[in-house]
Order: sequence, then structure tokens, then C-alpha cells
Amino acid sequence: MTDPVLRLTDVRRVHGTGATQVEALRGISFAAYAGELVAVMGPSGSGKSTLLTIAGGLDQPTSGAVVVEGADLTGLGLDARARMRRTSIGYVFQGFNLIPALTAAENVALPRELDGVPARTARQEARAALEEVGIGELADRFPDDMSGGQQQRVAIARAVVGERRLILADEPTGALDTETGEEILRLLRARCDAGAAGVLVTHEARHAAWADRVVFLRDGVVVDETGTASVDLLTEPAAR
Amino acid sequence: MGTTRGGWQVALRLARREAWRRKGQTALMLLLICLPVVAVTAAAVVWRTQDVSGVESIERRMGAADARLVAHEGPMVEQHFDPDVAQGWVGEGTRKPATLDEVLAVAGAGRPAVPLLRESRTFRTDAGVADMEVLTTDLDSPLAAGLVRPVEGTFPPGPGEVVVNRAAADRGPGLGETLTVLHKTADGEQEVELEVVGIAESAVSRGYPFAAGQPGTFGGSATHEHEWLLGGGPVTWDDVVALNRIGVAVASRHVLTDPPPDSVLTSGGSPVSSLLLDSGPDELTITVLALVVVMVLLEVVLLAGPAFAVRAKAQAHALALVAAAGGTPRQARRTVLASGVVVGLVGGVVGVVLGIGAGALAVPVAQRFNSTVFGPFEVPWPLLGVVAVFGFLSALLAAVVPAFAASRQDVVAVLGGRRGEGRPSTRSPILGVVLLGAGVAGAATGAVAGQEVGAVLIAGSALVAVVGMILVVPVVVAVVARLAARLPLALRFAARDAARHRTRTVPAVAAVGATVAGVVALGIAVSSQEAANEAEYTPLLRDGHGSVSLSNPDTDPAAVDAVLRKAGLDDQVEAITGLRLSTDTEEMELEFRQGEEALWLSYWSGLGSPYAVGETVPDFVDIAPAARERADAVLAEGGLVLLQDPHASEGSYTLPQLDGDPVAVDVRRWSDDLPEPELAATAEAPTVLLEVSGTATVLAVFSPPVVEDLGLPTAVVGTLLAAPISDETEKDVAEALAALPGDPYFYVERGYRTPDEVRIIQAVLAALGGILMLGGTLTATFLALSDAKPDLATMAAVGARPRTRRGVAASYALVVGGVGALLGAPVGFIPGVAISQPITKDPVTGTTLLEVPWTLVGLVVVGLPLLTALAVGACARGRLPLTARID
Ligand SMILES: Nc1ncnc2c1ncn2[C@@H]1O[C@H](COP(=O)(O)OP(=O)(O)OP(=O)(O)O)[C@@H](O)[C@H]1O
Ligand SMILES: [Mg+2]
Repeated sequence: MTDPVLRLTDVRRVHGTGATQVEALRGISFAAYAGELVAVMGPSGSGKSTLLTIAGGLDQPTSGAVVVEGADLTGLGLDARARMRRTSIGYVFQGFNLIPALTAAENVALPRELDGVPARTARQEARAALEEVGIGELADRFPDDMSGGQQQRVAIARAVVGERRLILADEPTGALDTETGEEILRLLRARCDAGAAGVLVTHEARHAAWADRVVFLRDGVVVDETGTASVDLLTEPAAR
Repeated sequence: MGTTRGGWQVALRLARREAWRRKGQTALMLLLICLPVVAVTAAAVVWRTQDVSGVESIERRMGAADARLVAHEGPMVEQHFDPDVAQGWVGEGTRKPATLDEVLAVAGAGRPAVPLLRESRTFRTDAGVADMEVLTTDLDSPLAAGLVRPVEGTFPPGPGEVVVNRAAADRGPGLGETLTVLHKTADGEQEVELEVVGIAESAVSRGYPFAAGQPGTFGGSATHEHEWLLGGGPVTWDDVVALNRIGVAVASRHVLTDPPPDSVLTSGGSPVSSLLLDSGPDELTITVLALVVVMVLLEVVLLAGPAFAVRAKAQAHALALVAAAGGTPRQARRTVLASGVVVGLVGGVVGVVLGIGAGALAVPVAQRFNSTVFGPFEVPWPLLGVVAVFGFLSALLAAVVPAFAASRQDVVAVLGGRRGEGRPSTRSPILGVVLLGAGVAGAATGAVAGQEVGAVLIAGSALVAVVGMILVVPVVVAVVARLAARLPLALRFAARDAARHRTRTVPAVAAVGATVAGVVALGIAVSSQEAANEAEYTPLLRDGHGSVSLSNPDTDPAAVDAVLRKAGLDDQVEAITGLRLSTDTEEMELEFRQGEEALWLSYWSGLGSPYAVGETVPDFVDIAPAARERADAVLAEGGLVLLQDPHASEGSYTLPQLDGDPVAVDVRRWSDDLPEPELAATAEAPTVLLEVSGTATVLAVFSPPVVEDLGLPTAVVGTLLAAPISDETEKDVAEALAALPGDPYFYVERGYRTPDEVRIIQAVLAALGGILMLGGTLTATFLALSDAKPDLATMAAVGARPRTRRGVAASYALVVGGVGALLGAPVGFIPGVAISQPITKDPVTGTTLLEVPWTLVGLVVVGLPLLTALAVGACARGRLPLTARID
């Protein structure tokens, strides 16, 4: 088997010190391979978001290794990790997090432009990415003038532009209605089928059905790792 | 009404909590409101303290005595209750000044009295001679206590001894050494040598040489007046009036502390009395003051505006929820206004308190630069009350626009998490353009109106234009955001974000704009004025060269030469022979005329006489070779050469062409025993009038035959130093020459020099402008950065380098500073160009000058914003917020 796009090895993350100390992750190991969409599930406060920020290089683990496309993020400086996020890792948030001062196309082009790609080229790539998620005609709109679903598509376009191979999505459908949410997941799935590795944090078993694999977290540890077949069984009680 | 009060109570409570919760932001708001209050308060305290009021000046004027009396030669005196404010003689003729006996006969026999005299004398310094003030009185007497403050050594001095102050001791005669005082009397100059036994400062001034001694110490007095300090109980206003009748002016402790009513002073309506009526500030002063206050208020409001806008924005969500729950727009408005009330109250009071402290610290510093001894520390409470109200008002006004914006906010957009503001109004920019037009029109009117009215009109128009500019700012910011599409990411983001948060951006841009407008306007005014001064200036000599004028027959040219030789200037010396126009008793004046028509030559020269005598034109006259040839020919045939400096042409008067035409010279003699000048001699000679190419130095060159005809004596009237003279040499030579009899005048041509006070004012204004610009840009930038935290976090998430934050910060600064400067500069031209007209207007020709300081304009418009941006970029934290938890 080929090397995974993302590999976490015995990752621990402790927030704060002393009495207020919280151990968000307590030794997590898991990997995501190219072409695969991994769902991460677990109750609130189990460490899902923390896991994702560490995988995305936004946060550093207290101990353990985080390897993305062969590079160990824990050994990289702020600048180098920023470069990883521009070139290898795409991030999709629950709250869309588009920059309101930039148009849809400019938002999508942002990582490319930050990477030094000429503005014109970046804008073209962005338009292509927007076409791909089905909203090419909204390229020059500002986020405030778009619906939530449209904004999230822009966010996905931004996460995939520039052929990035690791897509991290933290409850990307949380603020959307069911139908729009399904549409967003379909886009994610398509991206993974095209060769990217995806990690999807979600609360809903229904969404986990789009994934190839589900990782269950509880109190900062992986309690189960399974195929999608058993997802329904395992999560129904928790979801209620 | 009850609900109104209740509404305010809730709003104020919310504002207090909010102020407490966002401490950093509140601190910034307080700082912006406080700083001007602190500055004005400190200035007011220093000003009131350095100002010596009548009562405060009693000790320095009369020590511990009850009155100070001055006996005049006039028969009677009329005086203000404070004779230093106004006094005059009444009645015909002169009288012998009253004696002490006469005075005591009126004031009450048995009163103790000591003579007192303040005079100016010359004393020997290490380098030559200098002037000093000497005080002569009975320093042992309790009446004189407080006039002199002993510092070191013995006090009081005995006969043949003196005390001097630091300033005098530093120039030569120190403690234990000898003070040589020069004293001119009828029988020549007299030197008095005195032993310095102590160092003591005058109660009046410091920094200027001063000496004090017992009566008779400094030799005979030159004045015909007699002065005394009088003791023995209060001297009443009736006593003062009685003493006035025998020609004595009185400064009485009792009267100064408890002045008589105005009705007593103004009786009779004589000229002195009318001088005394304190005719409060005139309308012009009040108008100017009002304009200045409004401008300062505007600037403060603009500077503080962004902070209040951001505070209001932070409350937007809560206000939207209130609105959704049925709150009225007025409640929303009140909630935001309450922030202004809270910050204004605290800022005003804290500012005044801090200002008094700052003033107390500044008083000793100010005293060091001021030779007059300050009065006691004084806090002008009523004035400070006004200043505190000013602070309160500025905070309230700064909250007004955000308050109205909050009451009109789009509830749906806010609750939907949209952070931007709607489209800008289209009406206000139109009004803005109208106001700008009105400003231009008003300034143009003011430019051609009279000096004073014009200035007020122009200042008023400037204010109108600035308000117009403020109304235009939103559109310009929006346009800049539009144009930003092609700019690099950081700039594009900054420009668009600035446009999206107008209530925050507009006041900041306007503050920078108003500052730049002020700097540009003042810059144009000062440059134009300076250009006019420079154009008016006529050099007397070639640049850097010097001259010694020998007009007084007492001055020995050989002694002057000796001084110059000692200074190493002897090999460039040229003695000028000319007409001697004055003797001890008479003064000659020359008048030139062609037929009956008088020829007016300007009269100013650094020499003892502006008329040289010679058979050829002296070398120092700058004149074209052909003209020189012609002049020498005329002189050879016994003629006269008149020289004209084109720079010195007086107004529209031009001399007629003269080329060998006969010109008559009349000599008029002035003398003490003649009631009117008399015609002493007349001569006629062929004359040429020539224009000089550089400096003329003299006005005319007489050939010896003409001088003979006029019967005037010739003499060395001056010495020219035909080489550049350093500042240091100039000082040495001047001090050495001052010690010679006849006080020969030493002049060095330095060309036009900007007066020091103009330079200081320029520097202060430039610094103030820079600080205001920087302040406006910085507050706006850092408020914007804190507002943009979520966006910066997003950028980080998609891979922005940490230093992107610096780029964004610098871009904000560039947008705010650049747009402000670009708008402000043209607005500054309106009053600047207008005011340059009246202040440079030549009273005769009516020509005006306009000098635009392009370097300054360029620096302010391009340099400062760039510099600020760089500084902001360098200072901003190069760390992006990495937390992705934004919602
Ligand atoms: N910056 C922080 N400081 C302190 N504790 C933190 C911080 N971030 C997260 N935590 C703690 O770490 C634990 C894991 O948080 P995390 O956000 O990863 O949970 P989650 O699984 O994403 O929850 P949710 O489903 O509610 O989003 C929680 O107990 C949380 O309180
Ligand atoms: Mg989470």
C-alpha cells in the first residue's frame, strides 16, 4: 500500500496548565490515504476539532508526530506550516469563514495568491474551481450577498484549489439544511474520488455514510475504527 | 419624562459595564479624549503661573515696603491705580522732581523711606563689554527685603562691594573677583571697580546680567528722577492722588491689593483715564478664538471617532436583538451615546487632573527658557472647567455618528452575521461638494477683502471646506475600494474592509485629511510670507562680508583696525572715505534734485555715511564694466555718480534717466539751536544714474570738486571687510567693538534669514501635524486589525504567512493615511492660497506672491503615509490568530 497523505502517530494535546488543564487528545494514531474519505465522529468535547486543527498545522500537538505528504508538521516553523496549508492542505469550516471583503473568486484564489501565483492565473484557477462546485456564475459576488450553501461551496472550492491533496472539513454542513448539506458532501466525496484524502468531522451518522471509514473518538482517544457498514449500528444510540 | 430618565439610566449602566468589559478599547478612547485636555490644561497652568499679576508683582517691585514712589519733572502726575499700567504728566512746564522731605510732608512725616534706583549700565566681560541691570538701594533696610534673593556668599554687600547674579558671573566677574562698571558722565567715561562678595538673583528676571549694591556704589546717576521705597503703614488712594499733585507716581501695596472703584479712576475723562478702560477682547479676537476652538474640537472628534464606532459595532448584535424584541431606534441611539457620556465625563475630569500635574512638572522647565521670574503656581479653575466641558463634548460628539448609525442599522443583516455596512448615502457627498464650493468662494472673497476680515473669512471658509471634505470621504473610500480590484491582496483587503466599515474609517481618514489640510495651508502661508520677506530684503554688502560704521568722531579708526587685526581680518580691510555728515552738535542731510524735481534715494547703509568720495568708483560697488567706465569718466570731470539697487526700488517710484545731466545737491543742516533745518550749501554737477548688478553698499560717489563746492568734511566713514566672516568671529568682533568709544556699528551681511521664531513655529507645527497624522492612522489601523481578527484567522487557515498580518496592517495605514492626505492636501490649498494674498501684498504695488512648498506637500501626501505604513508594518505583531473557532 502507498504512504498515507495524513498520518498522526500517538498525538497528544494538552490545553492549559495546572487545575485548568484539559487533555483534548490522549495519544491518537490514525491515517488517511489518497482517494479515501474518513469520517471522524464522537460526542461534543471529544477532541474532533482539536484533531483537525493539528492535522491542518494550525495547532501543534503536545507530543506525537503529524505527517502530511511525507513532511512532519511538528518539525516545521510557522512559515513552513503556512506553506503546507497553501499547497497541500485545504480546510473547510462549519461557519464558512469567507472573507467578506473579498469576492467569491478572490476568496477561492486566496491560497494561490498567498502562494505567489500571479493574480490573473490564481483568479482563473479560482473560476475553474467555482465551476467545479457549480457556482461559476457567482464568482464576482461578495459573501454577504450569497446564501449559506453558496458560501460553503465557495469554501470548498477554496479548500481544493491548487490540487491540494488533503481536505479537512469540520462539520461543513452544520449550518445548512439537509439538502444543501448533502450537496456539499457530494462535492467532498467527488474530490476524494479524484485522488485527495479527506477527513470529515460530523455529528450525523447520515453524513458518515459518505465516508469510506469512520473513526470514533471519546475523551481524546480513538475508541473504534470501522468501515461504514457498522456506522448506523454504532452511532444511532449516540445520536439520540 | 420618567421613562426618559429611566431610559438614560439603563443606557448609562450598559455603557459603564461595556467600558469596564473592554478595558483596552476604553483606555484608547480615554487617551484620545484626555490628551488634548491634558495638553490644554497644562498650557493654561503654565501660562497663568508665568503671568505675574498686579498683586503677585508687589514683592518684586517694592520688596517689603508699603509703596514705591517715583518723582518726575512734570508738575503733576495722573496715574492708573497701578502706575506701571499707565501714567502721564499733566500741566504745563517742568519742575524740579520732589525731594524726600516734600514727599514725606504729603505722605506723612515719620514714615521710613529708602532711595531705590534701577538702571542699565555697561560692565566688562571676559570678551569685552556687555549691558547689565543695576539695582541701587539700602539693601540692609527691611523695606528692600525680597527685591534681591541671595544665593551664595555675603549679603548684603557693604560699600565698594556688590552682589551679581549667575548670568553676570558667568560672563566674567565671579565671586571674589572684580566687577568693572562703565559709566558715561559729562566728563567722559568713568570706570568703577567693585568687589563681588556674593551671588544673588533679582526677583524680577534671571538670565540677564544683574548687580545690586548700596546707594552710591555705581557712581553718580544719570537720571533726573528720584525713587523711594516707603514704609510706615498703608498708602491709601487719597495719599496717591495727593502725591500725584506734587509730581510723584505711586505704586501702593494697599491700592494694588484693594483697587479703588473704576468711578474714581475715570473721573474727568482725561487721556490717561481712557487708556485704563479695560476694553475686553474685540470681536475679531473672539471670532478667531471660536474658529480655533471649533477646529480643535473637530480634530479631536475625528480622532476619537473610530474608537466609538468600533465600540458601537461591538454592541451591534445586542442592539439588533433589542430591536428584534421591540426596542426603538431611540433606545439604540441612547445606548451608544451613553458611551460618549461615560468616556467624556471620566476623560474630562481625569484629563484636567493629569493636566494640572503635567503643568506643575512643566513650570520649572518653562522657567528655564524664560528670563522673567514666574509668579506663584496658579490653577485657573474656571478655565479648566471649560476645558473639561470641551473634553466631555468631544466624546459626546464622537459618539453621535455611530449612535445614529446604530439606530438605523439593518437588523436582519446584523443578526445574519453580516459585518459590513450598507451603501453610503448619496445625498451627503453632494452636500459635501456644495460646502467645498462654498469654502472656495469664501476663501476667494477673503483673499481680496481687508487683512483682518479677510483672515477670519478665510479661516471660516477653511472650516466649511473641511466639513465638506468629511462628507465626501465615504464616496472616496468606496471608490478606492472599487479601484482596489487590481491591487495586491493585502491592499485590496484593506481598501475593501475600510469601505465596509465606514463609521470607523471615515473619521480616521477625515482626521488625517483635516491635519494635512492644516499643514498644507500653513505651509503655503508661511512659505509665501517668507518669499515676500526675502523679496523685500535688500542686502547691504556682498554675502558674508562685513562693515564697521564710523559715524561718531569719538571713534578712533586705529582702534577699530586693532580690533580687526586681532580677529585676523586685517588683510581684507578697506577703509572707505566718504562725506562726514554728523558732528557733536550738528547733523547734515543731503537732498538731490533735477531742476525743481526731487530725486528720492533710499537711505540705508552699513557705513557711517552712504556717500563715498573718490576719483573713481570704488571696487566694492558691483557694477558692469561699461557702466563703471562711464561713471569713472563723469567723476574725472568733477561729476556725481548715483547708484541704484534694483532690489531696493521703493514701490512704484522710479528715478529719471540721468546721463551727465546736471543734478543739484542741497545740504541741510540740523542743529539743536536751530528751530528748523537751514540750507547750508548747494552745488550742481553732471550726474549719471547707474544700476548696480550686485550690492551697492553706498548710494552715491562724489568727486572731490563737488565735495569742495559743498564745503563738507571728508573722513573715513567706515571699514569694509571683504571676506566671509564666521559667526564666531562676528560675535567676538562685535563684543570687542562695543567696548570702544562711540560704539562703532558692526554689520555682517548674512542675506535673508528666516527669523528663529518662525523656524520654531514651523518645527512645532510640523511635529504636531506629524503626531496627529500618525495618531489618526495608528488608532484606525489597530482598531481595524482587532475588528478583522476573524478574517486574519481565515487567512491563516488557508495558508497566509504570519507576516501577512504586517502587510495587512501596513495596508490599512496606507489606505487611511493616503486617502486622507490626498483629500486633505487640495483642501489645504483653498485657505493656503487665499491667505497668501493678503499677507504678501505689497502695500505700494499691490503685487502678491504665492509660494507653494512642494517638498512639504510631497512629504505630507506621499512621504508620511508611506512612512506611517512602514512603521505600522514594522510594529504590528507578525502573528496571525490561528484559532479557527470564530463563530
Ligand atoms: N484553546 C483551548 N483551551 C482550553 N481547552 C480547549 C481549547 N480548545 C479545546 N479545548 C478543550 O479540548 C476538548 C476538545 O475540544 P474540541 O473542540 O476538540 O471538541 P469537539 O470534539 O470538536 O467538540 P464539538 O463537537 O463540540 O465541536 C474540550 O474539552 C475543550 O474544552
Ligand atoms: Mg468541534
